Amino acid sequence: MARDIFQQNLETLKGYVIEMGKLSHEAMLGAIQVLKTQDAELAEKVFQGDEAIDDYELKIEKCSTQLIARQNPTAGDMRLIISCFKIAIDLERMSDLAVDIANVAKCMGTDHTEQDNILKMADICDEMLQQTIKSFETLDHELASSIALKDDQVDKLFYGTQTKLIELMIEDNSLINNASHLLLVLRYLERFGDHACNICESIVYMATGQRVNLN
Amino acid sequence: MPETYDNGTEIEVKNLNLWYGEKHALHDISIDIPKNSVTAFIGPSGCGKSTFLRCLNRMNDLIPTCKIEGQVNISNEDIYSRETDVVDLRKKVGMVFQKPNPFPMSIFDNISYGPKIHGFSKKEMPEIVEHALKSGALWEEISDRLDASALDLSGGQQQRLCIARTLAVKPEVILFDEPCSALDPISTSKIEDLILELKKDYTIVIVTHNMQQAARISDYTAFFLLGDLIEFGKTNQIFENPQKKETEDYITGRFG
Repeated sequence: MARDIFQQNLETLKGYVIEMGKLSHEAMLGAIQVLKTQDAELAEKVFQGDEAIDDYELKIEKCSTQLIARQNPTAGDMRLIISCFKIAIDLERMSDLAVDIANVAKCMGTDHTEQDNILKMADICDEMLQQTIKSFETLDHELASSIALKDDQVDKLFYGTQTKLIELMIEDNSLINNASHLLLVLRYLERFGDHACNICESIVYMATGQRVNLN
Repeated sequence: MPETYDNGTEIEVKNLNLWYGEKHALHDISIDIPKNSVTAFIGPSGCGKSTFLRCLNRMNDLIPTCKIEGQVNISNEDIYSRETDVVDLRKKVGMVFQKPNPFPMSIFDNISYGPKIHGFSKKEMPEIVEHALKSGALWEEISDRLDASALDLSGGQQQRLCIARTLAVKPEVILFDEPCSALDPISTSKIEDLILELKKDYTIVIVTHNMQQAARISDYTAFFLLGDLIEFGKTNQIFENPQKKETEDYITGRFG
């Protein structure tokens, strides 16, 4: 009976993380759309959506601390709780980054130099998050480890595009305003990928008890 | 199983089998218990953990239908060899039980009883008693009433008296069979502190039903189930990442 209640609470906690992950994914999709369109209304929606994500972080924190205090979790239960707690922190940061991207993107001009690479990065980041949520749901640590490999592509695009944008700014002063915005977006996306890797590390720990460095 | 220990091995058990009449209660148990550390035995009721603990100072010899095969070496001595003197063995391997069992005599006499049997002189007694009571974390509470009956002490004090009584004969190993199950949380915490203190000088083996107690105070944990030793390892590993499903199921409360 007591174990059943504990199990239900663990399922609830897991459910919160999945819901939070889905909302973070929606935030990122919105941010990508703003990148493409500079749609200020859509950007506003991304900002407003962040509140629900923050609420989930708080819910997960409360649920985790109560379970630790009352259930003395061990082994797989303990690893699940600790991982959910950590994943919520990463998801919250990822949503903030989506907000930051939408915020910068809505102010950008129409000259979209290097936009292809940035959108490519954004798509990879979004795919990483989607797959991460899937591997969390199914406790698939192999999938989690493979997702982290995609971060290498993100990093490659980051460094390549950053160099190009700097070169462009040196060549043509009129591009500085837009290119500096794009540099910010680049940085946000690169960080987004790192947080996805952190989540994958938590999933591997949760599933196997092994601490791995996937970043 | 951990292969080598920093402080060396104190108790080495090889292929131990035990029967109560027809019932095969312990199945081929092999385990190396490290010196100067706390090893906890956990498992559901009837899993054999207390039976196994009692093999370590031959307490099962007192049960007529009990048959034991295998080897138990303590400090490199085979305790089941014909040459072993059981009285000497129980001096070397002391035991504290679930329910405090002070003798119906004074606090002083409780402690001096063992040393007297082992030939210490009357003159040496006050020092032995004081030292044992200090080591048992009881001296400060009762030093002014050593002549009082041990039965007047609280449950927690009685249990610490029993520990002090064990210490008075200078054992190498102390076996604890659920020493806190009859105590309140404050007394439990005092016994746990004491066990942590004692491991500097003694090898401690403790049977406990309280999993959090095992997690709090032990360095190594062994999980028993239906007479089998399922898993033995560092307590950190057993409680964070057990390798056997049965261990995981038990410590997370899925059964037992």
